[in-house]
Amino acid sequence: MPNPPTPPPYTLTPLATLDPPSQERTWQTAPHPRLPIVATCCADKTIRIYSLTNFRLLSTITGGHKRSVRTAAWKPHVTGESVLASGSFDATAGIWRRWDNYTSSHIPSQSPGNEDGDAAWGTSTSNPDPSEDIPAANDDEDDEEWRFAVLLDGHDSEVKSVAWSASGLLLATCSRDKSIWIWEDLDDGDNNFETVAVMQEHEGDVKCVAWHPAEECLVSGSYDDTIRVWREDLDDWGQVACLRGHAGTVWGVEFEGLAVGVSSPSGEGGEEVRALSGPRIISCSDDRSVRVWRRQPKLGMTTELGAGNMPSIIRPTGLDELWEEEAVLPLVHDLAVYSVAWSRRTGLVASVGADGRVVVYEERRVDDAQVKEDPEVSLSLLPPTEWVVVAVLNGAHGIYEINHVAWAKRADRGRDPSKEEEVLITTADDGSVKVWTVQQ
Amino acid sequence: MASEVQNSNPTILNVADLPTRLGSATLSKADTDRAENLASIFPPSAYSSDWPTALHSSSDSSDGEEEREEPIDEQEIYDLISSISDPEHPISLGALAVVSLPDIAIKPTLPDVPDSSLRTVSVLITPTITHCSLATVIGLGVRVRLEQSLPPRFRVDVRIKEGSHSTADEVNKQLADKERVAAALENGTLMGVIAKMLETCR
Repeated sequence: MPNPPTPPPYTLTPLATLDPPSQERTWQTAPHPRLPIVATCCADKTIRIYSLTNFRLLSTITGGHKRSVRTAAWKPHVTGESVLASGSFDATAGIWRRWDNYTSSHIPSQSPGNEDGDAAWGTSTSNPDPSEDIPAANDDEDDEEWRFAVLLDGHDSEVKSVAWSASGLLLATCSRDKSIWIWEDLDDGDNNFETVAVMQEHEGDVKCVAWHPAEECLVSGSYDDTIRVWREDLDDWGQVACLRGHAGTVWGVEFEGLAVGVSSPSGEGGEEVRALSGPRIISCSDDRSVRVWRRQPKLGMTTELGAGNMPSIIRPTGLDELWEEEAVLPLVHDLAVYSVAWSRRTGLVASVGADGRVVVYEERRVDDAQVKEDPEVSLSLLPPTEWVVVAVLNGAHGIYEINHVAWAKRADRGRDPSKEEEVLITTADDGSVKVWTVQQ
Repeated sequence: MASEVQNSNPTILNVADLPTRLGSATLSKADTDRAENLASIFPPSAYSSDWPTALHSSSDSSDGEEEREEPIDEQEIYDLISSISDPEHPISLGALAVVSLPDIAIKPTLPDVPDSSLRTVSVLITPTITHCSLATVIGLGVRVRLEQSLPPRFRVDVRIKEGSHSTADEVNKQLADKERVAAALENGTLMGVIAKMLETCR
């Protein structure tokens, strides 16, 4: 990094800790695409739904999973109802539904001691072994209307990550069994899901999956240190790229948003190339690094690449994509980086990990003078950018490791209604979930 | 688990040769027996006045470590893990020299953050034979024992000592994988084996 700017121009300020916290490790917190609520996955086999308006616990989903809940994702484009997919160490994924009637003035009436599930779940198929988790009698006002819809059974071992495609039609799940499953939500009112594909190319646990923001294109990260890109070709899902570069388990992957970052403000050259490349991929790893990957534009690929540049692997179809490592973000983490989040509104990137740090990065255009000094940069077709660390917070959850980070729309009373503010949500080993403002 | 014993004739060290804190002023409170032996040798006045209380409280809570800031050193780590039994033999990891005092280190986790209380405990384990498939289980046992005993500000790093195992990298990667370890803790069969190994830890 040439001349890191001082002082960092952004400040991370604690806004709230979701209350009450889980008593056990929390793995992930998924913000709802529409409503000011989040779903937090807990080692105590539950999913906790918190409000981002008052930061209180709204309900606790219990009874569906027999082991730690590792991951959850909200289905997009559903109206009047919320649909949540969850993945657990019990090797299953669950689908949960609830009619939307949380109101902004909703104040949870239940005490922390009364968080057990809806009694109805005890009789649902979600809980084939009721002795493992006996729901308490709900005599108080019952604001838990989470309905267990279906259990997706197929993986041989722990499910590590679940993700809905942009359309909400497809659900991807991945597991320690090295496979990725793609399920189609038939949306037939009967909660039927059809297995569309099972991909087994990874050579180790598949730790994470994420979808392209518009297309049916999936990216995955693995214990085999690779990132792979998957697409459907004539009814057959297959790998279209394998990205190598990380020297350790890839813990997190995410696609860039459709129109963010430094490319939009300027009308200068390179926009066309960006458009052809499509959204980039960001990844984080046990090797402590965060990397950005760019696809070679499809057009001109044959002319640009001489024979010497072609990878020596067999390329059976025209579907294969060539992805290149575009940048390694400044190395700030001292230990494994478990999660990275790329804001689809501001283009800011946040990363967290075992060292307990929250790091925020901003992509900046390198000015022309600098470009001329560095001929390597000017050779690129793209407007050159650099990643700058704009905020570092040590010990964000005290001594505890941070497992997940996410951006969400700010929804509390303190927000500025004239702006679409975002907050950062971090999820830690001690069961705490914190909400931060990121301000200049 | 393996039905056939992989190393039927391991080298066993004499208990008297194993490292202890005898002669050291800061006696490990985890070892009640040894302290009682000492008590019979030395008159009570040789101890600081709060010692018997500390000893008492440690025998009450089996996992020993309180939130109170206690200096934890390599010997204490050794005491915690050397009494773990080998999954194959009714012999301790200390006696088998699978764990040894010089292969334990405690270092600041974030050296660049001076006020950080995080400490990394590194333990190198030496499997009795280079192709021992139980190395992962032994490593997991050590990791579980330390994570259950040490305050949360300690990070546990268990690895196979270089050159002592044919698939060390693979084992190390697995032992360092937080998610895999967490899932293993929920695996009843595996935890049964681990619990049996830890039975001998008081």
